Amino acid sequence: MTIPSEPRSASAFSTPLDVLLDRVEKDMQDDLVPAEIFHSEEVFRAEMERIFTNTWVFVAHESELPKAGDFVQRKIGLDPVIVSRDGKGGINVLSNYCRHRGTQVCQTDAGNSRFFTCPYHGWTYANDGTLVGTPLMHRAYGERVDPDLWSLKRAATVESRNGFVFASLSEDVPPLEEWLGGAGWMLDLITNLAPGGMRVAGPPERYTVNGDWKTAGENFAGDVYHLPTLHKSIEDVELIEGLQGTCEIGRTYEFENGHTFIGHAWTEAIGPFFTHWGYGAIPGYVENFDLSGLDETQRFVAEHEPPTVGTIFPNLSFIRIFSPLPDGPPGVFTSFRQWQPVAPGKLELWNWQFVWDFQDEESAQRDYVGGQYCFGSAGVYEQDDTVAWEGVQRAAASPWMRKEGMKFNYQQGQNSPVDQAPDPDWQGPGVHRKTGYGEHVQFNFLRQWLRTMKGQTTPRTAGTSTTDGGMA
Amino acid sequence: MTATADPGTTSAVDASTYTVVVQFLAHEARLLDEGREGEWLELLEDDLLYTVPSRQSTEPRSDEVNRAAWRIRDTKAHVRTRIARQNTGRAYSEVPPSRTLRLVGSVEVVPTSETDVVAAHSSLLLYRQRGIDVHFDLIPCRRNDRIRLTAAGPRLLAREVILTETSLKTANLGVFL
Repeated sequence: MTIPSEPRSASAFSTPLDVLLDRVEKDMQDDLVPAEIFHSEEVFRAEMERIFTNTWVFVAHESELPKAGDFVQRKIGLDPVIVSRDGKGGINVLSNYCRHRGTQVCQTDAGNSRFFTCPYHGWTYANDGTLVGTPLMHRAYGERVDPDLWSLKRAATVESRNGFVFASLSEDVPPLEEWLGGAGWMLDLITNLAPGGMRVAGPPERYTVNGDWKTAGENFAGDVYHLPTLHKSIEDVELIEGLQGTCEIGRTYEFENGHTFIGHAWTEAIGPFFTHWGYGAIPGYVENFDLSGLDETQRFVAEHEPPTVGTIFPNLSFIRIFSPLPDGPPGVFTSFRQWQPVAPGKLELWNWQFVWDFQDEESAQRDYVGGQYCFGSAGVYEQDDTVAWEGVQRAAASPWMRKEGMKFNYQQGQNSPVDQAPDPDWQGPGVHRKTGYGEHVQFNFLRQWLRTMKGQTTPRTAGTSTTDGGMA
Repeated sequence: MTATADPGTTSAVDASTYTVVVQFLAHEARLLDEGREGEWLELLEDDLLYTVPSRQSTEPRSDEVNRAAWRIRDTKAHVRTRIARQNTGRAYSEVPPSRTLRLVGSVEVVPTSETDVVAAHSSLLLYRQRGIDVHFDLIPCRRNDRIRLTAAGPRLLAREVILTETSLKTANLGVFL
């Protein structure tokens, strides 16, 4: 089909938000997306107000906080938060702004402390956020400053799933389990393959990407079409083969609330031995697996068509692939990554490698190093991904393209002979397609973005109780 | 002695060894700036270990660098494959290759317990202009090297790169430090 021509306006370099969102909705019916959403001051501001302060956002994995007093500093949208484990074992998600004048009470990325003391005037908070001290109290305030009124602000609700801690700055959200829906089911088959599950291999590495957070999110929702082009060099140096067939063996998993994964039918493509992401082809893994807690469909997916990448809306993504290193034994790495919005068209990438609790030091190190070799600031794949994403937001900010009303083409599949219909025999949650063609996964992610931006998301179920700011 | 030992409490090497090592560091920097990675690879020992450990803001400061966590932990084979990938002409982040300038300074060279190996500490400021970027990146770091003095000349045995930044501002570590 052809792209309808847009009326030209000499002055319309920036579209009023609601007009833009209406246009997005209309264009998406034709499998088009206005470029402008990937770099716009107004869109970015609205994303902070409507998405990041208004929905569940991943903040930490519990294995980062094994001991009482452990804390990490994280981001919810633009806000710095402290994620701490208090003396009772509870996890707290606290604003890192002192209630007195706003100075950040925690100036480090991670550590262990019972207290956070503001460097400005010395207001001191316990690691659960409670105000416990104000210098020169009797002369300055005459009485104890009320901790019920003046403790650190706490995230409205905090919950954890398989060790992944999420927080919401709004109470008006469904319980985490309901919000994750099919993504929780998928998380189970990713991280619960063995007793003890997975733990972080190290602290997150961080680096700036001149790309929009949504570009990263939609890529990891399941853009497998880019593999044979952007990552051809990996095949050239024989670290992978068969990239040309990536869409053919692609398998989509599209869940509610925009959560989206895509997998590959590895046993069909490579051989019956290549089960469980290829873990089955390497000694030391499946012997430790116990899939008895999974349902039949989960076991089938994990064994034959496991998710390669995925995005939990809004900004947590996952990747697991078989990774031979140029020397030494092969392994399978697992990375969770978060696309932290920084500014229009700019994000900070936080990248955690994960390893199995059962792995010995040598095996865990292999997967950690193998993961970094592929996906990370020096990753042979990721180096090329992140710079390709730069162009998306540049086109989005282009005065000429704004004037043209540039739309990106998501029409792959409209005339494709490939059967992209939802699998009628699918027994799992959500929609499953037996192809990577069609760009359905990107749209599942972007539709949730649009619904959230237009305020069309379902509020929490009536009568649902939420934990106030902490999680026991 | 380790590569991170404090040279203030250790005797420095003699002037001729110092000159050889400084010359080596300057030479490898020039090879990399001139796109001669293949020649640079020849200067790496077969048992090379090239690491970029994790760095975070912490108290105490001594906890900042976590040597059990890495952005990069490369053997020579890993490095060789990185170079081979760049040479495919399809490693798009480096097509065309970044224009770089490595400024190596503050070089200290100290002996180690192995008679043919010295430790060299240096600072590196890498200027990088990538592709058609209108901006440039600076990658500041310190390097703790172990250099083997062989009959054929110095060879890099180990390099530990301590990035100055906790969060990188450059697009990636697609350039050698």
